[in-house]
Order: sequence, then structure tokens, then C-alpha cells
Amino acid sequence: MENKKFIEVKDLQKTYDNGHQAIKSVSFSVNKGDLVCLLGPSGCGKTTTLNMIAGLLAPTGGDILVEGKSMIHVEPKDRNIGYVFQNYALYPHMTVLQNVMFPLTVGKGKKSKNEAKKIAKRYMQLTHIEELADQKPGKLSGGQQQRVAIARALVQEPKILLMDEPLSNLDARLRLKIREEIRALVKEVGITTLFVTHDQEEALSIGDRIILFNEGTVQQNDTGDNLYLEPVNQFAANFIGNPVIDNFKVKVENDYVVGKGFKFAITDLKNERFKKTLQEGQTYTLSVRPENLLPLMTEVKIENDDHYLEADIEDIELIGRERVLKFTNDGNSERSLINLEHQVKRGDHLTFSFKLKRVYIFDDNGERVY
Amino acid sequence: MKQNQKKAWLFLAPILILVTVFSIWPIIRAFIMSFKGGPIINMQYNGLANYQYIFSDPDFWHAIANTAIYAFVTVPVALIISIALAWFVFSKIKHKTFFETMFFMPYVTSTIAIGIVFRYILNGKYGLLDYLLRAIHLPAPDWLDDPSMSIISLIMFGVWASLAFNIVILMGALRNIDPNYYVLADMYGASEMEKFWRITLPQLVPTITFLLTVNLIGAFKIYTQVYALFNGAAGQANSAMTAVFYIYNKFQVVNTPGVAMAATVVLFFIILLATFIQRKITKKVNS
Amino acid sequence: MKKKKFSWGMVVIYLFIAIFAIITVFPFIYMILGGLMSYEETTTIPPTLIPHHFNWDNFRQVFAQAPFARYFLNTFITASVSTLVTLFTSILGAFAMVYLKFRGKGFIQLILLSLLMVPAEAIIFTNYTTIMDMGLLNTYLGLVLPFLVSIFYMYYLQSYFTAISPTIYKAAKIDGASDWEFIWKILVPMSKGGLMTVGLLSFIAGWNSFLWPLLVTNEDSMRLLNNGLTAFTTDAGAQTQLQLAAATLTVLPILVIYFIFRKQIINGVVRNDLKA
Repeated sequence: MENKKFIEVKDLQKTYDNGHQAIKSVSFSVNKGDLVCLLGPSGCGKTTTLNMIAGLLAPTGGDILVEGKSMIHVEPKDRNIGYVFQNYALYPHMTVLQNVMFPLTVGKGKKSKNEAKKIAKRYMQLTHIEELADQKPGKLSGGQQQRVAIARALVQEPKILLMDEPLSNLDARLRLKIREEIRALVKEVGITTLFVTHDQEEALSIGDRIILFNEGTVQQNDTGDNLYLEPVNQFAANFIGNPVIDNFKVKVENDYVVGKGFKFAITDLKNERFKKTLQEGQTYTLSVRPENLLPLMTEVKIENDDHYLEADIEDIELIGRERVLKFTNDGNSERSLINLEHQVKRGDHLTFSFKLKRVYIFDDNGERVY
Repeated sequence: MKQNQKKAWLFLAPILILVTVFSIWPIIRAFIMSFKGGPIINMQYNGLANYQYIFSDPDFWHAIANTAIYAFVTVPVALIISIALAWFVFSKIKHKTFFETMFFMPYVTSTIAIGIVFRYILNGKYGLLDYLLRAIHLPAPDWLDDPSMSIISLIMFGVWASLAFNIVILMGALRNIDPNYYVLADMYGASEMEKFWRITLPQLVPTITFLLTVNLIGAFKIYTQVYALFNGAAGQANSAMTAVFYIYNKFQVVNTPGVAMAATVVLFFIILLATFIQRKITKKVNS
Repeated sequence: MKKKKFSWGMVVIYLFIAIFAIITVFPFIYMILGGLMSYEETTTIPPTLIPHHFNWDNFRQVFAQAPFARYFLNTFITASVSTLVTLFTSILGAFAMVYLKFRGKGFIQLILLSLLMVPAEAIIFTNYTTIMDMGLLNTYLGLVLPFLVSIFYMYYLQSYFTAISPTIYKAAKIDGASDWEFIWKILVPMSKGGLMTVGLLSFIAGWNSFLWPLLVTNEDSMRLLNNGLTAFTTDAGAQTQLQLAAATLTVLPILVIYFIFRKQIINGVVRNDLKA
């Protein structure tokens, strides 16, 4: 398993001169050939981390290893990486071909013009931009510029490809198309890729693994499935999922978990799912995904571990093939996601069921208990 | 990338070296020389003698007075004419660029060359201006050779020369005013005068403060215009002697560099004070 | 809905513009016309406006009486050299100030900005002493040396470079370009407009320079145009038509440059000073 840890980030830290602590401590590793998404809200430190891996920013602590070798004191150009910037950073005065050739014609490992052209053409073919060779970037569409930026990043045949929000400047439809293309391309080339995004859907759809960031720390480093199904803390649960997860305030009283309008015995919970024990008298947050909180009118299969709560529907929102029903429980706004075919009116009084094997319980520090 | 990239000093080296030798050192040296007497090749410390000399030299006070009169007349007059011209051209003329191009011409052309033309036009015997004045039965003074007219001639030349910069900067500021202000004002039925006083002028205040101080500082350094208008002299009987002309004379003609440097230091502080006041005012205006 | 109505206010406004337009342009026209007059025409009363016939011979006389060709050459050399070197030093300095991080950057910026306030006239005489100490009077080097850097233009380029997205520099670093390659292959081609403006303003200033060359040259062969011009007007005495012809020669090249590049020049001046 020697290729297990292709990139290793160890206790990486970054504090800016003004005292702002952008990265508190970040550690993770990336397997060779994986496409890993760095996901998180803006300001969480994901781009800062990417820039430190690229060598564009000096960390104030920690280490970055690639194939076991420390990269901290290596200049960006010697790190063997490709980088696709959010705004593409294409050189506006050069043609597409000159842009793609540029990395091959500067620095120590300069190649001859002909050779550079040949390599550039190969990658332009790969990204389907051969016919744009003589155009200036200003004339290209967002999607075309994106491809040029990728071709330029790949032309040096780097070991690692870093992409910083590469799709955020594209319109929604194109974004879906290009993200599939990017996944196909990096898999074809076989390059290890770090992909920064704030869009969870994007991360879930293309990442082999997802590293979830918040406030300068890694929250969870996992596959998309696990991130969705087994969030390690309240932040992960809240961040992933659309519409967002439902949270209920609960309290443990006499070995019962008590919320507003529902209660169940601790013994009803599955033993093997406990990470910690529930403390008598403590408050917790019970979280359940909107698609697991369904009104009885729908095709819910009634099982014996179901629990119920009643609510008046306050608002209904249509999203594609589904409806979001909104109601309030104990001051929290909650959502239920049902199929479009079920008719519900505002003001309807409905009974919702949830399964205990599908709920999460977090303590007041946001840590997962169940 | 490293936090402290020492190679930056390599890129800055040419600038820093030349700036040290030709901007910083001369300031220090001017101070030192202002405390020395004698010819330039053999200067000896003489304490405050140079300062005592200039402060008791009526020529120095005359030069300062001339400079002040020139500055405090030329600058406001030129500025008022510039504001009127810029506003008229901006609001009433279709071919704005054409007029802007024309009004800016004096800025790029040699003062010396234009001075020759002005000398010809202002000539007391066969000059065009006096001919026109006589034609409409106005007094036709000898603009260049009558000492009492020297400063007035210089002011005329100065106003002519400073319109260019002012107009172009003001036009730039006028273009920056959101046209929706005027659309709104039209909807409320504001008159042209109301629009000028209530919208345009308040919006121009930062630009006008900037021009006022830049012009004043420029006016305090006037030299080439004098040289050009009076063909290398400071007017008949030094009637148009200005501060820099005084310094030049003491330095190059009379060969008393110490005195010249003492005058330079005084002028330097006057200009520094003006710059300082400008900063204060600009800050207040902008906030 | 605008109705064009005759009003005395409008007449006054147009008259005002017209008068000042004439006052501004007339000296240039009169200079060119006067340069083509005969001696008699320049001294008659009433004054001549348009010469009876164009005395092109005036220009030949100007070149015969003073080494104007030499003045042109000297002026062209010093203005070009100071412009090119100033561009070079300003590009390097502005690059370091915008793209590099180093200790002492804030201090350097502060010093340079303070020096921007020092009037040139306050240091020009001591600079003369320095050039004299170096034994560089009456040399090209002495003429250009203090004008090979300009804090003003460097500051101008700094604002120009800052407007370029900083990721362009990062991209070039990733692509393996050295700082030198970044400057000449990316920064300079991307800043053509700004460099053009700086170049034009610097060249015009060099062409029109007067006090500095007056101080550091006294040999006729080293004189620049404007100094040659003043010397010529003294020598030519009352030959007004020759003085005007010589003035025309001095001004025309710059006016030609101005009319070709007026957009860059005017925009450059405006952009600069609105930011100050």
C-alpha cells in the first residue's frame, strides 16, 4: 500500500500578519489518482489550503508531503502541479495556443517551440479546443476558457492537479456538463486532483472523497455516501443535504428522549449506533433528513420503530419533482420532502413519521452522540 | 512563496540608488549648503549668515511678493474660467473631444516656444494686442517693457497656460458624475443654473480642491514662464522677479550658492506647508 | 421633448467658448503664420495676420544661423533615453512593490510617497552641483542621469499593475515562469496602454525640459531645443519671423505626437490626477 498516502498534509497552519487565523490545524491525506473535493462555506480555509499546497502561500506551521517528500521549501514551479484558477487567469494578450504552450516555454525545463507546440496540441485535443488555437481568451465563452485553463494546467504533465472553484463562473446548465467532463478527463489522465468548491452537490457528484472544511479545520474526510449518511458532527449534518436537515431540540428525562410533541425511550435506539452515552437531564439536538420525515399520507411503510409528530403546514415550496413542506417545531423551522404527486395545502394538519435508525443526535458542542 | 522575498531589493535597486543620489541627497545637501558661504568649489560654514542675508534682502522679499501675487491672482482666475469652460463644453457642446483636444494643447507644448509668440503679440510697438486695444480706443500699455505691467503680463501668460490642465481634469470629473442625477433633476423641473449649483458644483468640490492646491504649488515654482516672456531676464528692472528666478540668479549668475540654497530651503518649506494644508483639506472634503 | 429656443444665455455661452477657443489656439496659428512672414510683415502696423506669400526660406535661415539639427538630435536622444530607462526602472520597481512581499515595503512606499511632494525646483540646483562633482557637465549622461527614474511614473504603473488580477502572477509562477519572464512576457504586454501613456508623458516632458539642460550645458553642441531656442532668440535679435519659425520647429513634432496619441495622453493625465 505504498501509494496509500500520495499527498499528506500534517497539522497545517496559517495565521496572517494581521492576526487572522485562516487555518487552525488541517491534516489529511490523499490517495494517488483520486479526485478529492475540498468542500466548505466561504472563508473556511479550503482555498488557503490549496494555495499552500501549490506553494503560492507560505504556511505558518505544519508540513505538506508529496510521495513522502516535504514541499514546504520548494518553489511553486518545482512542485510538479497544475492549477486551474477560479477566474482561469488566462493571459489575455496570448492566443489559446500560446497560453497552453506558455508553461513549456518558460523556466528551466524549456522545450523547443516545435516540441512545445506538439505537446500543447495534444492536450488541446484532449480538452476539445484545437479549433480555438488562434483565438484570444477574451473572445471565448466561459466554458471554452475553462477548457483552455485545464489544458494549460495539464500540459506540463504534473502529478497533481489543483482546481479552485473552477465552475463558479459558469451558468448552471454548463456547470453540470463541465463537471462531468472534468471528472472524465482527470480519470482518463489518471492525475491526482484536489478540487475546491463550496457547492455540496458538485462535490458529491464528482469527488471520490470529500474533505469538509469549516473555520480553518477539517470536519470530515470521507466518501460522499458517508458524508451524507453518517455526518460526524452537527456542522457536517447541517452543511450537507438540500433542503437542509431538520433539527429538533430534545432533552433526556427519565431515560426518555423528549421533544416537543414526541418522545421515545432511549432503549428504542439502536445500541450499535451510539458513539457516546446520553446524559440524563442534558439537552441535545435530534436531526433527521427531510426525506426521512414523511407525512403518513405518502407511501411510507409503517414499521414498528416509527415515531410520530404532528404539525400544521405553514408553507409549501416546489423544487423540481418534489415538494418541500414547511412547519415549525419549538421555534425551529422544519422541512419535509415529498413527491410532487401528493397534494398538500397550506394549513393542513399532518402527522409525520421518522425512523430511529435514520436519525442523528448531537450534543450541545455539535458532536455526534447517536 | 516566501514571506520575505529579498529579491525585491534587486528589482528596486535602480530606483533606490538613483532616488537616493538625486532626490534624497540633494535635499540634505541643500540644507547643508544653506549654512555655507563662498563660491561653489570652496564653500565654508558661515552659520545663519545666508538666512540673515536673504531676510534682509529687499530683492528676496520682492521675489516672494511677486510670486505670491502671481499665485493668488492666476490660480483663482484660471480656475473660475476653467470651471465655466469645462461646464459649458460638457453640457452644451456636441464635439466635446474636439474642444478638449484643443484646450489641452498648451499643456504639451514648450513654454519657451509659446513665450516667443506671446512676446510678439504683447510687443508695445507692433504687437497685435495693442493694435486691437487701440482700435477700440482703450489704453495700450507696453506690456513687456513697462515694469509696472510685468506681473500683469505674466499673469495673462500664466492663466493662458494653466487652463489646459484644469479643463481636462474638470472634464474628467464631470464625466464621472452619475448622469441619473441630471435625469432626476430634469424630472423635478430644475433649471440649468439650479442643476449647476445644486448638483455639478458640489460634485466637483474634491476636484476643485485638488486643482487649487496643485495649481498653487505650481505657481509658487514659476520660473520658465518668466524666462520665456522676458527673454531670459526677470522683466525690466527685475520687475517680474520670482522666487525660483531669485534662486537661479543667486546660484548661477551671482555665484552665491549658499544664499540660493537658503532661499531654496525657505521656498521648500512654503511648498511643503501648502502640500500639508492640501492633504488636510482634501481629507476633510472627502470625509 | 427638448425645444431648441433662442436665448441670450446661450449666445453668451457660445461666445464665451468661442473667445477662449480662439485665445487658446490663436498663438499656435500665429506662430506658424509669423514664421512664414517677411521681416517687414512682422513689424508693420497694422499687424499682418496672413503673410503675403509664404517665406519658407525662413526655415533655411534658422538652420543656417544655429545648429538646430544638432539641437533636435540632442533633444531626441535625451528625451528617448530618459523615457526608455525610466520605463525600465519604473516597471521593475512597480513590479516589486505590487507582486513581491518583503520586509520594509511599507517603509519604502512611505519614503517614495513623501519624495513625491518635494518640488523639483528645490533639488535641481544641488543636483547640478552633484553632476558637476561627477564631471558630467556638457555630457548626455549628465543631461539624463537625474531623470532615469521617476517616482511619479512608478507610482502610476503601480496603480496600473494593481488593476491586473493577482492570480495572473500566481498562474505564471505555477507555469514555471521566473519573475523576469513574468515581467517581460506577461506584465509588459498586458500593460501596453499604461506604458504607452507613461512613455508619451515622459517623452513630452523630456522634449520640453528647460531649466535642467540650461544648468548643465553651456556648449552650443550639447544644447537642447528649448535652450537653443532661447539662445537663438537672443542672437537673432529683432528677426521675429526667424524666432517664430524656430519656435514652430520646436513645437510641431510634439503637436504631431499629441494629435496622434491625444486619447492616451489626456486619459493618462486625467486618470493619474483624479487618483492623487
